[in-house]
Amino acid sequence: MSMLQVENIQKSFGKNEVLKNISFSLDKGEVLAIIGSSGSGKTTLLRCINFLETPQQGKITVNGNTLFDAETFDKVSERELRRRRLHFGLVFQNFNLFPQYKVMENITLAPSLMAKEQIRENGEYMGAKTMRQAQQAIRDEADQLLRKVGLYEKRESYPCDLSGGQQQRVAIARALALNPDILCFDEPTSALDPELTGEVLNVIKGLKSANSTMIVVTHEIGFAHDVADRIIFMDGGLIEEEGTPQQVIDNPQSARTREFLARFNQFGD
Amino acid sequence: MDQFWNVTSELLKGFGQNCTIFGLTLLMAIPLGLIISFGSMSGIKPLKAVVRTFVWIIRGTPLMLQLFVVFYIPSLVWGISFDRMTAAIIAFVINYAAYFSEIFRGGIESIPKGQYEAGQVLGMKKSQIFFKVVLMQVVKRITAPMSNEIITLVKDTSLARVIMVPEMLKAAERFTMQGLIWPLFYTGVFFLLFNGLLSLLFSYIEKKFNYYKG
Ligand SMILES: Nc1ncnc2c1ncn2[C@@H]1O[C@H](COP(=O)(O)OP(=O)(O)O)[C@@H](O)[C@H]1O
Ligand SMILES: [Mg+2]
Repeated sequence: MSMLQVENIQKSFGKNEVLKNISFSLDKGEVLAIIGSSGSGKTTLLRCINFLETPQQGKITVNGNTLFDAETFDKVSERELRRRRLHFGLVFQNFNLFPQYKVMENITLAPSLMAKEQIRENGEYMGAKTMRQAQQAIRDEADQLLRKVGLYEKRESYPCDLSGGQQQRVAIARALALNPDILCFDEPTSALDPELTGEVLNVIKGLKSANSTMIVVTHEIGFAHDVADRIIFMDGGLIEEEGTPQQVIDNPQSARTREFLARFNQFGD
Repeated sequence: MDQFWNVTSELLKGFGQNCTIFGLTLLMAIPLGLIISFGSMSGIKPLKAVVRTFVWIIRGTPLMLQLFVVFYIPSLVWGISFDRMTAAIIAFVINYAAYFSEIFRGGIESIPKGQYEAGQVLGMKKSQIFFKVVLMQVVKRITAPMSNEIITLVKDTSLARVIMVPEMLKAAERFTMQGLIWPLFYTGVFFLLFNGLLSLLFSYIEKKFNYYKG
């Protein structure tokens, strides 16, 4: 049984139907890359999965638990919604780090707030009984994440003193700190200078070797080919083609996919 | 020399009134301004319309006129009246809350949507996002416009004389009527000193926030 199941997602902004009946599933440890031209609805899909937009129709299930069902969603409390969100993490195109906090604090802020709340209500947070223990565990975890993204020595810096690539790596560490089941990336390298994309893509490759389940929206076709187990090509709010990288990128069946890929090949990979 | 000390002490007494208006106005207009700014950004359309109209009226009419309204209208219409100082403070608080609310609104609306969304996907509550993520950034962004408003407030306090609050310019005018002109100009020294101190404080605060850009 798949870890993530997205069924019949439909989302309109006013009269503009941006997602028309999107369905796909994802197994644990699998990496899904979503490609498609600008305006095809890729960002909107990720935002729906992360509850930043509410689809008009559809269902989202993780590990057999229905997290979103358009029929009943208006009855879900804010508190429950916050809990459900934690199944997913989202890395934004433009990082959205908190500028007033150091790198370390960017990573520990949300877990600390969560720990405070859970210790008050349940007397423990991930095994820690006191806030002091929890803080220690959260900081240790953040240290480890920073090592993983290669920024341990920057933990006391402010985001404004980092390069774009470094900022995006901090954003990845921040998302990982909450242990999401599925980590989503929305064009994580589009806002970066070309020479800085490699360091971010390498971090994502590293996560793949550690068996993280990920959905990556990207314009880096070569990277998608290397890292993805499966590729979805989106066009006009629909999944136009879906399959392994070999199927979709090397042997596209749909004319639209071929046209899209041809435009990329013009510029050379 | 006696005369100088006499004038100084009279003016200082008056300046006490200016300081009272200044202090109480700041104390009350900042929280009230924050509430008004929330109203002016509200998703409830009628509330937003009412609040924005109110702010427009307050910002579009002279503070002096507002002082007259608060002081005279209640007694003319309902036969109740505030004492002069209370009336002055009510008018100042309302006037400055309206100005502050626009600064707060500008500051809050200038924070990118992505900051809220980053907080949301990290499972933070709305209140946590506001207090832990947004507020500090707003404070940094509004320090300069707030400094300007607050320095203007110091000078505006002398307007309270139009409803006979015995503030410093009023005291100086009494000397003028006795044929003594210089105390009127001497009042400028008090305002300058006070605003000088405030400027130092504000530049200190701005420096404090310079540890990060953005
Ligand atoms: N908040 C919104 N309100 C109205 N229209 C939107 C909104 N967000 C996205 N859209 C529209 O949805 C379409 C798909 O956008 P998006 O999901 O960002 O595509 P992509 O990420 O593939 O470039 C675009 O036509 C865009 O104008
Ligand atoms: Mg997009």
